[in-house]
Amino acid sequence: MKTPDIFYVEDDIDYAFFMQSAVQEVKDTLNLTIVEDGTEAMVKLQQFAESKTKPKLILLDLNLPGLSGLDLLKFIRDIPYLKSIPVILFSTSDNPDDVKSSIEFGANAYLTKPDGYDNLVKCVHSVHDFWFNQHLRMN
Amino acid sequence: MTTFSVDLTNCDREPIHIPGKVQSHGFLIAVDKIDFLIAYISENTNLFVKTSAGNLLGKPLSTINAFLDQLAPEFNIEDLLRLGIIRKSFDAISPHPVIINKNQYYITIADSGNNFLLEFEPATLQYDLQSVIGRSASGMLQGKSVSSLLKGAAVEVKKLIDYDRVMIYKFLDEGHGEVVAEQMNEDLEPFFGLHYPASDIPKQARELYKLNLTRLIADVNKEDSPIITFLENKPLDLTNSGLRAVSPIHIQYLKNMGVCSSFSISLISHGELWGLIACHNYSPKFIDYKAREGAKLIGQILSSALEYRQDAEDSEMVDQFKDIATALTEQLNRDKYLIEAITGHKKTILDVTKATGAAILFENNLKTIGTVPADEDILELAEWLKQTNDESVYYTHRLSEIHSPARKYKRIASGILVCTISKELGEMIIWFKPELISTVTWAGNPDKPATPEENGLLSLSPRKSFEAWSEEVNNTSEKWLPEEIASVLRIREIIITDVNKKANEIRQLNEKLQSAYEELDTFSYTISHDLRTPLTSVKTYAELLLRNKSLDDSARKMLGRILTGADKMNFLIKEILNLARVGRSEITFETVNMQLLLNEVATEVWSAFKADKAELILGQMPDINGDKTMIAQVFTNLVSNAVKYSSTVEKPTIEISSYIDGKEIVYTVKDNGMGIDNRYYDRVFELFKRMDNVKEIEGTGVGLAIVKRVVERYNGRVWFESKLNVGSTFYVAFKNI
Repeated sequence: MKTPDIFYVEDDIDYAFFMQSAVQEVKDTLNLTIVEDGTEAMVKLQQFAESKTKPKLILLDLNLPGLSGLDLLKFIRDIPYLKSIPVILFSTSDNPDDVKSSIEFGANAYLTKPDGYDNLVKCVHSVHDFWFNQHLRMN
Repeated sequence: MTTFSVDLTNCDREPIHIPGKVQSHGFLIAVDKIDFLIAYISENTNLFVKTSAGNLLGKPLSTINAFLDQLAPEFNIEDLLRLGIIRKSFDAISPHPVIINKNQYYITIADSGNNFLLEFEPATLQYDLQSVIGRSASGMLQGKSVSSLLKGAAVEVKKLIDYDRVMIYKFLDEGHGEVVAEQMNEDLEPFFGLHYPASDIPKQARELYKLNLTRLIADVNKEDSPIITFLENKPLDLTNSGLRAVSPIHIQYLKNMGVCSSFSISLISHGELWGLIACHNYSPKFIDYKAREGAKLIGQILSSALEYRQDAEDSEMVDQFKDIATALTEQLNRDKYLIEAITGHKKTILDVTKATGAAILFENNLKTIGTVPADEDILELAEWLKQTNDESVYYTHRLSEIHSPARKYKRIASGILVCTISKELGEMIIWFKPELISTVTWAGNPDKPATPEENGLLSLSPRKSFEAWSEEVNNTSEKWLPEEIASVLRIREIIITDVNKKANEIRQLNEKLQSAYEELDTFSYTISHDLRTPLTSVKTYAELLLRNKSLDDSARKMLGRILTGADKMNFLIKEILNLARVGRSEITFETVNMQLLLNEVATEVWSAFKADKAELILGQMPDINGDKTMIAQVFTNLVSNAVKYSSTVEKPTIEISSYIDGKEIVYTVKDNGMGIDNRYYDRVFELFKRMDNVKEIEGTGVGLAIVKRVVERYNGRVWFESKLNVGSTFYVAFKNI
């Protein structure tokens, strides 16, 4: 199994599509894996742990049908193999309460979904610059 | 013989039942109950029989038989007496006709202590009265109301006894009386409506009127005849005597009035002396026993009719009050506001009693109907009542004597009836009755003039003038009737039930409103949130499409329009989210550095609107307590508005300042822009409300709604002053804590 660079959980297929485009525009060699709901995400995360494949970054949509982004975050932090992966919560909400609880649950960052494609590309750019370059530095 | 001299100090104790005299149109014999010996006899007996009174004194009653022309040979006056004794009543045998010296007389027998009274009086009536009385009674009873009944009675009695004047005299409070009906010869001056003081008919006289239902004084100018006896210090009790002589004071009183004969019939209602049928004749006039009995019967019929009619009128009044109560209940159920419900319709709270004015103090309002004192006097009275009155219903008919400030409006309100709705809040209803001053016209000066005698003692002389004499009965209103008080208690119950019901309704409405508000906040929040996701898709797809180099200009233009629309919508959603958040978030208090905050806000606003030409003037900016984000929201909106709506003038000036007013810190944001039409004053803070003159300027109509919500959550106030084309000043007052 190919190790994804970014593992993204997003139920909105439109936004998933935008993300796909944006990521490719930022760097077309980046490998993005997207799943649509919490249960599927859980299965995938389990597989990562078993096959010892570690994504470089996990993006979680906060509001998911069924299991929420916070539930997944907690799940990730409970699995020793996965718990060191940077996790970013990604949501349309800019409610301070959501931000606060995400950080409390152990998110590395909280991002409000950018408005429009151009802003999204900018956002992915900076995420890539920060997390991937840092990742490289750490290695 | 009794000698009792009457003066002012004892006139109400004059022993009129033992005068020692009889009227001289008849004669009286009293026999001992045991031996039937003549113990007392009137001196004038010799004018009727052929022997002197002295000769008969001490003799057996049977002696009298010798002077009677026998109607039946076996007649014996002692047998007549015994018959009465056996029957235990003399009613059936009185009057007994006898003939003395060929003249007809009636004997009537009555009880008096140890003696029997035998009275002889002339029988003058030659025909049977029965049918006349029957017609009189039915004529009288045709009257439906009490007043027509009384008038009818006066007419019928006058027909029966043919006196010059027949009056119906009614006893009012405290013993004085009023002529309430009258029938008289046309040449006489009417007494109708006149009042007579209580002293005109003293208390013990009123008691006698209850025992002797008729009373004849045949001729005031005829000398009375003394009663002689051998018994020392045992005056004969003449309570039950028809011939009983009249008090010299009363004789004088009648003489002063020019009356020669007087006849009265007692009217008894519910066991009390209701009044009299008082008959005056201006020449001597004797009334035959049977005519007197006929008049008595009419009096009794009138008494019971009065009792019935008065009860009927009372219950009619009660029914009327109940009808009013029912009407008011309906009005209260239908109307939203209590005052409107009980004063705004045809039937009002004033109709609950016979008052002439009413005042309602409720929810800090004063509403009056009818004739009432000035508002400030009512408020003063209400305050006094609040302090001193613990009763749910309080009433007096002499207010100014209890509460001296009431003196100045005693003409309007000498009587008050107060019903408390809430003691704590001083809520009450007050009914007013005027002073009775104008309604009392006395027959002559009611104060009995006391004239000094030669010996220096005051002596009583009944007044001589009976010309109408008005007297001011001060400080007193008509009394409150038990029916009125019952009616007020009934209304109080209805009002209190209604007040409680409405309070409950308001409380429930409040709870509903609150939960509706919360729901609305949640709803707004959720819906805005959910709207943003598809909106983002729209926008993003449009942007993606724009990257396609093969598109022509018109397609690009349309995509641009889609983006503009999406941005506008996004902004609106953000604003609604902000508004919803005001209701959802917890209230926190921290010290907000206003200088810092306002500078940040200004910088942000100036750059957002590119307001380079606008001048900003900052005044005093003391710190306030609140949530920094929310306060920032308030000022961002106010300052944005100021900048936006002054952008059309040549030199926009925005001034932010503050002042301290008591317990409030008031911030002002002033501009010199286009201003707000005052007609829309109340609508400015409404959600999505934008004025006609600002169509050109971008806005959502949410900003000031947010300002108002935030300020109100902090128990503050927001308002504005504005003039079209001059500018607006918005004021925000925060509690200074």
